[in-house]
Amino acid sequence: MLKTLVMATASVALMAGAALADPYEEFRDTTLIVNFPAHPHYDAVMRILPEFTKETGIEVEVDQLPYLKMRERQTLELAQDEGEYDLIAYVVFSKADYVFADQLENLAKYFMNPKLADPNYDADDLIDGYVYNIGFAGGSKGYLEGKTGSLFGIPYGSETSILGYRKDIFEKHGLEVPETYAEMLELACKIPELEPGMGGVASRAASGHHASHAFLLHLNPLGGAIFDDQWNPVMNNEAGVEAANALKTLVDCGPEGATTFGFGEALGAFLNGDTAMFLDTTVVAGQIDDPSKSSVVGKVGWALHPMGVERASQTGGFGIGIPANAENKEAAFLLMQWLTSKKGDKLVAMAGGNPSRFSTHADPEVNEKFPHMATFGEALQHADPDWRPIIPVWGKINADLGTTLSKVLTEDLDVQEALDGVAERTKAVMDEAGYYTWQ
Amino acid sequence: MNSANRLTPYLFMAPAIVIMGIALIYPLGYMMYGSLLDWNPSQSIEEAEFVGLKNYITLWGDPNFHESLAVTLIFAFVGVSIELVLGVGLALLLDRNLRGMTLLRTMFILPMMIAPVVVGLMWRYMFHPTVGTFNRTLEALGLPTVDWLGQNALLSVIIADVWQWTPFIFILSLAALQSLPRSALEAARIDGATAWQQIIHIKLPLMMPVLIVTGLLRLIDAFKVLEVILVLTEGGPGLSTEILALRISRTATEFRELGVAAAMSNYLLILLMLLTAAMFTLSRIQEIRANRVRAAAEEDS
Amino acid sequence: MATAPVQRTNPAFYALLIALVFMSVGPVALMFINSFKLDVDIISGTSGLIFMPTIQNYETALCDILPYELDHLDFCSLKFGEAFINSLIIALISTALTLIIGCMAAYALVRFKFMGRDTASFTTLMVRMVPPAVLLVPVFGLWNNEFCIGRSTMFGEFWRDTFGGRGDLCLAGTYGGIILVYVAMNLPFVIWILQSFIVQVPRSLEEAARVDGAGPFRVFFLVVLPLIKPGLAAAAIFTFRIAWNEYLLASALSDRDTRTVPILIVNNMSEFNVEWGVIMATGMLLAIPPILFTLFASRQIITGMTAGAVKG
Repeated sequence: MLKTLVMATASVALMAGAALADPYEEFRDTTLIVNFPAHPHYDAVMRILPEFTKETGIEVEVDQLPYLKMRERQTLELAQDEGEYDLIAYVVFSKADYVFADQLENLAKYFMNPKLADPNYDADDLIDGYVYNIGFAGGSKGYLEGKTGSLFGIPYGSETSILGYRKDIFEKHGLEVPETYAEMLELACKIPELEPGMGGVASRAASGHHASHAFLLHLNPLGGAIFDDQWNPVMNNEAGVEAANALKTLVDCGPEGATTFGFGEALGAFLNGDTAMFLDTTVVAGQIDDPSKSSVVGKVGWALHPMGVERASQTGGFGIGIPANAENKEAAFLLMQWLTSKKGDKLVAMAGGNPSRFSTHADPEVNEKFPHMATFGEALQHADPDWRPIIPVWGKINADLGTTLSKVLTEDLDVQEALDGVAERTKAVMDEAGYYTWQ
Repeated sequence: MNSANRLTPYLFMAPAIVIMGIALIYPLGYMMYGSLLDWNPSQSIEEAEFVGLKNYITLWGDPNFHESLAVTLIFAFVGVSIELVLGVGLALLLDRNLRGMTLLRTMFILPMMIAPVVVGLMWRYMFHPTVGTFNRTLEALGLPTVDWLGQNALLSVIIADVWQWTPFIFILSLAALQSLPRSALEAARIDGATAWQQIIHIKLPLMMPVLIVTGLLRLIDAFKVLEVILVLTEGGPGLSTEILALRISRTATEFRELGVAAAMSNYLLILLMLLTAAMFTLSRIQEIRANRVRAAAEEDS
Repeated sequence: MATAPVQRTNPAFYALLIALVFMSVGPVALMFINSFKLDVDIISGTSGLIFMPTIQNYETALCDILPYELDHLDFCSLKFGEAFINSLIIALISTALTLIIGCMAAYALVRFKFMGRDTASFTTLMVRMVPPAVLLVPVFGLWNNEFCIGRSTMFGEFWRDTFGGRGDLCLAGTYGGIILVYVAMNLPFVIWILQSFIVQVPRSLEEAARVDGAGPFRVFFLVVLPLIKPGLAAAAIFTFRIAWNEYLLASALSDRDTRTVPILIVNNMSEFNVEWGVIMATGMLLAIPPILFTLFASRQIITGMTAGAVKG
């Protein structure tokens, strides 16, 4: 009696196994250690990870760090023979370092593996600019897509710049939402007159990465660039000066203490109703609608990043990739695929993250919950994958640029002179790194 | 027995020597060597390229390094001077039998004991442009608000340091004051010296050796400050509060140039060495002079 | 000590005294109050004292060791409880080691004449001034790359099989690695400060014990140590303070499992969300031991400070 029961159970189990071939079966009870940034998108990811574990039986342990710390930690971990992390999220400019040092897995072999690759993944649905910006390396300029390039990561948490504005203030004074840079700058300085105590645009400006980021935000739309096609620094040309002046205008007409604002402070000012506009990443939408953090819930409208000579919003955010020294690479791939699949992308969008697929931005359910999603989707199509150079020496140039710009903002250093200085030092850095070898 | 005796001091010293050798002296040597390399954190030291004195020369001509050096010196000397004046002044003022003195001394220790990281975050909150305590108070009083961590960042950082360390000088000066020979002071009072004359001609000269050591200790510590500034301003705006310790850490982690960071560390070390030597000499001279004053004062009585 | 004559004191002095106490305690009190406020209350700042106190910030901070689930949190990102335990382990062990090793060395320097004594004494004095930032680069390099045992060596293999983990066994990322730096960093100070206490121990007591047949180590542990208890207490507090508060080296050496509280606080000042309430709560928790020391051991601290400076 007992024996037959056991037999029956066993055969049922066998049949079930055969009927539902589970690609995750082999990795059940594996624990993946992943390194994610402390960032609203990845906070949303934390909320959906239990779903992954429930579905696949793969446990995920997350080490969440602020992203500069995360990069430091990864530098160290990836250089070891055997690393701790199975999956990492990385910022765009880390791509150059990691790929160059052969520290990230080329994803081709996983997508070729029929046991791992999901045929319904639909990679064409991923937003092109981001795949090129974050995932590809080896193509055009060495760091973009192109005939010689290949894929090392998948964008996850795609941000672009967007203009948030206070609908109530704009209505009250009969203002038009700015379409161009000229309009935005004019409006930015008009707001403090119309609404005493309120700043125009909240922008980052703090020394270093923040100031540099804010400058780059204006550089491309105004027709400037960091380098020309021969890697000569051109951030000090007319467009560069215009971008720096735009930043200065925004900060001067911004809220109190604007010169020290990092991203958090700038966002805080907007959340607190201290400014009428906010020009930065799309990642903030979740917090603006959160009544425990924001006093402007329901008062914010969204518009595309204003035009200069062209529409070019930033490409920011993170990608996820598998370290070459990881222990559980295949399980890590499964997690990566699950997170970036249509289903995962929608789940994370519903949890307040930044989706990376066209279909998610068009999804009616997502749009119902987050009405701004359609505008964001449109903005993403204008995102410029080459809005900043992704080369190993960028960190150094970025730091110099950010420090110098902060001096322009706080110490009234002449803009042209300051940028000339940056250009000169950049040239030296580039020369030393060998970018002029072929000239 | 005899040989055991001769070995005893070495046995007592051995653990300390081994540990300091491994974790202080050897790393310092390693740093000297590292400063001659073009070295990034992804490489082990064997893979780094030897570049001789290049890092030192680059730094010597680097305006950012100059600025950082200037900020460090201003921070250390201005901060410690203010602390000395305030600390000694308060000690002279409060050197009397007041009820509540013990409470003050106890409470004064608190700022020194609390983690610099926490000090940084407390002050960052108080200096905050809109929600901070200072600007709120100013606003409530109808006064214009101050851009603490922006235009006045260095000042703000110094204020936080003064808050934290003036008590140190106060407590030490008070201890020094209370151990002065009563006879000398008594004699001066009988001679009809005013309070000011007593302070300038007797108390300060006699306290001088202690004050110099205290000042030196504070100065050395001021060059070690990093966490408070890291949390308060991260060195900004511009480089206006980027003291050397912070720049070393940023060069190593953010710019990924371990060689340059090591060279910078070496410059800082040399600077501190010069300072220590200068202060030691000064303290020797002062001690001799103080002894003369003390002897003279005691002769008078 | 001579007692100064009781002077008639001006009330202004008391006003000054109160102002000073307020100034030194005020910021800490402010942090204490804010740690019980919600962010909305901190930012809107309608009033300083009228608010609904909440322990939510502390719950958020300690979410990884609380036995119950929290309603206001979707997930627990702040591993503060774990970091608190790490901090305790590191600070306590390094304090104990520094004291034992330090007072042995101080004793040798004071009581024995031996070759190399002056060099040892001078070196100790000089390395006192080395800032932690100077140690950052070499310690980072050494602890990660040089002070390692290969994974394929016998011991390495045994360790990895027994305790898990990956890669070569390096000092970096272990408690031992951080403790080693802290002990080395604090030793010069402890040796310096304890010398001044040991000098005061009457030699006759030691002689007497020696006549009774006690060896030098017995004399040291049974006679000298009990007599310098106040010095030990002062040295212990100062050592603990540094090990407990240090950020820079810990952040370079610790890994996922050995992070200490200061690292967590700095990490949490990250740019996306300055959650003042939670940060103040973590700051408050980190400040507990220093506050306790201040309240219950201020006498020892002052003794230690004066001994350190005056007897230099």
